Amino acid sequence: MSGNPAPIPDPSLPSADDAHATSVVHQGRSVLLEIIGLSKRFPGTQALSNVDLRVRRGEIHALCGGNGSGKSTLIKILAGVQQGEPGGMIRVGDESSPADAVTPAFADSAGVRVVHQDLGLFPDLSVAENIALGSSFPRRRSGRIDWRRMRTNAEELIERFEIRASPKTLLRDLNRAIQTEVAIARALQGRESGHGGILILDEPTTALPAAEADALMRSLRRYAQAGQSILYVSHRLDEILRITDRVTVLRDGHLAGVHETADLDEDALTTAILGRSLAHEAAVKHVPVSSAGVPVLQITGLRAGPVRGVDLEVRRGEIVGIAGLLGSGRSTILRSIFGDLDREAGEIRVAGAVLPKGSQSAAISAGVAMVPEDRARDAAFLDLPVAANISASVIARYYAHLRMQDRKMTRDAASLMATFGVKAASPAVPINTLSGGNQQKAILARWLRRDPELLLLDEPTQGVDVGARAEIYRVVRDAADAGTAVLVVTSDVEELAAVVDRAVVLRGGRFVAEIAGSALLPQHLNELIYKDVPHVDSV
Amino acid sequence: MSTVSDAGTTGSTRPRRSARAAGVDVLERTGLVLFLIALILWFTIDSTSGDIFTSGANIRQVLSNQSVTGIIALAMVAPLVAGYFDLSVAAIAGMASVTMAALVGTHGYPVWLSIVLTLLVAGIAGGVNGVLVARFKLNAFIVTLGTYTLIGGLLQLYTEGQSIANGIPESFGNWGSLTWLGVPRPFWLLIVAGLVLWYVLTQIPFGRQLESIGSNERGARLVGIRVDRTIFLAFVSSGLLAGVAGVLLTSRAGSADPTAGSAYLFPALAAVFLGATTLRPGKYNVWGTIVGVFVVAVAVNGFTLLGADAWVTPVFNGASLLAAVMISTLFARQRESMARKVLLDGFKREEPADPNTNELER
Ligand SMILES: Nc1ncnc2c1ncn2[C@@H]1O[C@H](COP(=O)(O)OP(=O)(O)OP(=O)(O)O)[C@@H](O)[C@H]1O
Ligand SMILES: [Mg+2]
Repeated sequence: MSGNPAPIPDPSLPSADDAHATSVVHQGRSVLLEIIGLSKRFPGTQALSNVDLRVRRGEIHALCGGNGSGKSTLIKILAGVQQGEPGGMIRVGDESSPADAVTPAFADSAGVRVVHQDLGLFPDLSVAENIALGSSFPRRRSGRIDWRRMRTNAEELIERFEIRASPKTLLRDLNRAIQTEVAIARALQGRESGHGGILILDEPTTALPAAEADALMRSLRRYAQAGQSILYVSHRLDEILRITDRVTVLRDGHLAGVHETADLDEDALTTAILGRSLAHEAAVKHVPVSSAGVPVLQITGLRAGPVRGVDLEVRRGEIVGIAGLLGSGRSTILRSIFGDLDREAGEIRVAGAVLPKGSQSAAISAGVAMVPEDRARDAAFLDLPVAANISASVIARYYAHLRMQDRKMTRDAASLMATFGVKAASPAVPINTLSGGNQQKAILARWLRRDPELLLLDEPTQGVDVGARAEIYRVVRDAADAGTAVLVVTSDVEELAAVVDRAVVLRGGRFVAEIAGSALLPQHLNELIYKDVPHVDSV
Repeated sequence: MSTVSDAGTTGSTRPRRSARAAGVDVLERTGLVLFLIALILWFTIDSTSGDIFTSGANIRQVLSNQSVTGIIALAMVAPLVAGYFDLSVAAIAGMASVTMAALVGTHGYPVWLSIVLTLLVAGIAGGVNGVLVARFKLNAFIVTLGTYTLIGGLLQLYTEGQSIANGIPESFGNWGSLTWLGVPRPFWLLIVAGLVLWYVLTQIPFGRQLESIGSNERGARLVGIRVDRTIFLAFVSSGLLAGVAGVLLTSRAGSADPTAGSAYLFPALAAVFLGATTLRPGKYNVWGTIVGVFVVAVAVNGFTLLGADAWVTPVFNGASLLAAVMISTLFARQRESMARKVLLDGFKREEPADPNTNELER
């Protein structure tokens, strides 16, 4: 992305100013969290080897590294969810523990508060209950749960964190962004007083669009100023450059360096993470597809949920992006095309043939593929092997000679894993043992192997590291060059500007603008997205 | 079993392992089988039970008695793989038994036609469950508990509580009592049913689709699996198998008792859950289920010979259900905590996509 003609140091978020430049690193500040010589081995993977990490008081410290470099593992060990190997040492404030003896109780008493990558929420419980589970349920004197107090606690937090949900809403009825807010509120409750402790956030913004991510950045800055130490994991480099004080980089489980953020720019950070520069490869060409090209996707008058009537054509070989706010209906459009949502009105044609309402299998046999937004809920078979996950879209192809050809399936999966850079011990391990970004790449492989006519991508690079992000778009571009039409939704406007040939802006349920060519700039996109009062429908 | 490509388990992928961890793994996979062997040895050696226990008559008795239970247990497997309970199979088997007796005995239809019609009725009953669960999205546990009770009641109504014994031809009534190669025919039928179900569940795409649904139903829908249809078919196949069990039941008894079917529910449940702790731990599987049936049966048989009374059957059914749940939880924990850490000591760091890793054990 750094290869854009005009370098864009400004992360281009409208209200970023106050979050900037406030970071003052006091060199002499004492170290709150200290990890020395931490190692961790999984079957087939050395997730961490001899890693050191120091976080100072009141500092926002970034933990960076490619997919599978061991960030989440380090955090899980810190939280006592997994055990490190003997030899390592962990100290938080005055309390220390050998790395192989950290328990959740130790982590809790030392003040380690974690928002895990998968959020760790309970979909069938309400917002209030989820928040209460983070501490302990408030009790009455008799020992009974004090439901009223639980509700008011939750209400206070909801107000303080500006969460757009009521205490009674069930978690599964909320979208990822709001779920993330709930998880953060849960971790931070009782923390405003800012006594000691460390808040750890593992990729909290993967599912957050710019405005929400920005709000989060500002609150984190505020907490840090109040003395809260924060360990922050993200693949979004702009965030790291903006709010953190220092950066620790992991590469394949090894400590690859510690940097002052002030000394870094996007290129330098990329290089630190990948061990090579992306500058010369990042430039992705925009291909102006002739308007005479064959339309693969034709939408007319689509209405569904927040979408109030849109028309769109995507031609062979073209990559089109949909820009818009959270809740503007971007995913609704993709899901309606794929038959995952019943549209209220409108016609959808793929390669000339009308798609029936609400039928994924019709869409799939017409050559449509979709990588959904919520991987765990809608895409991954978490307890099944990587091979089964990658083969799920083509399972019938492996039935030959009266039986399933499992060896062939495994072999093909292995070669796809190589192509897509999926890092795993073997194709036969369950996919939930892979790091988040590697799971995402496996899901992409599942669909791209079908050579779809139309590829729908909903936040395809969430949780994917900078290197792999470029790789993914290269693969997508290759597919487009081979004739696939691609429709992509991403909240990262820079990414959008860099990879699509044409973008449409969805606002108030309609496409309000279409831009292509040299007008395709992040600032311009942002202006269009945020124009007027943002029309935010929840969900 | 070695040709069963256990795509669903991680165990088959571990090239080298430390002795201790390998022990846990092997124990987990074969524990139930070893337990069955130990039980058999014990009752054989014990002088009180030994003689009778090992007599041909007793062995044949256990094998053929349990075949009905076994087929009913197998009938539960397909829906369970997709994550749905089917409690009605025992009742459907009872219904099939009565239907068979009524057709062949009361109405005098030829045996083959009666069998076909009975299976049709049982398949339809399974289909009704399937429609309620897949199409109307009703909770499978409750739906099938409902149909279980309902069918039981309807059978009482139809038979007025009487067994149907008149007019059942000798040839059919005797079939279940005869042996082939010294082994009771019902047992062969169980093995055939097991083979067919094993093939369906592991060797054709249908089984993988069921497994995907069981893992993540929304995800399955979004990869184009016709989830509703697949679940429906799972219930139909479950009904058909229950129908086979019902026909066998009538043949073995030479008559149809309207209350006979429902008694098979708990033994079958126990077997299925026990089965899921072995061979492919954590997954409902055909051969594990059959092993599970015989673990309970041998224990009950042996203790009865040692002088235990009627209490022994419910106690063993209940105990094995509890044990099944406990074993799978315990071992899952073992796997999490210890095996993960130890298992692949010496597994050299490999390139992520090495296709050979999966072949080493074959
Ligand atoms: N439970 C597990 N069993 C086996 N291997 C695991 C397990 N958890 C993690 N790993 C492996 O450990 C390595 C580090 O994973 P980790 O989740 O810490 O990466 P990460 O840096 O958080 O990556 P991402 O940015 O993609 O989230 C990966 O190779 C992963 O496959
Ligand atoms: Mg991670």
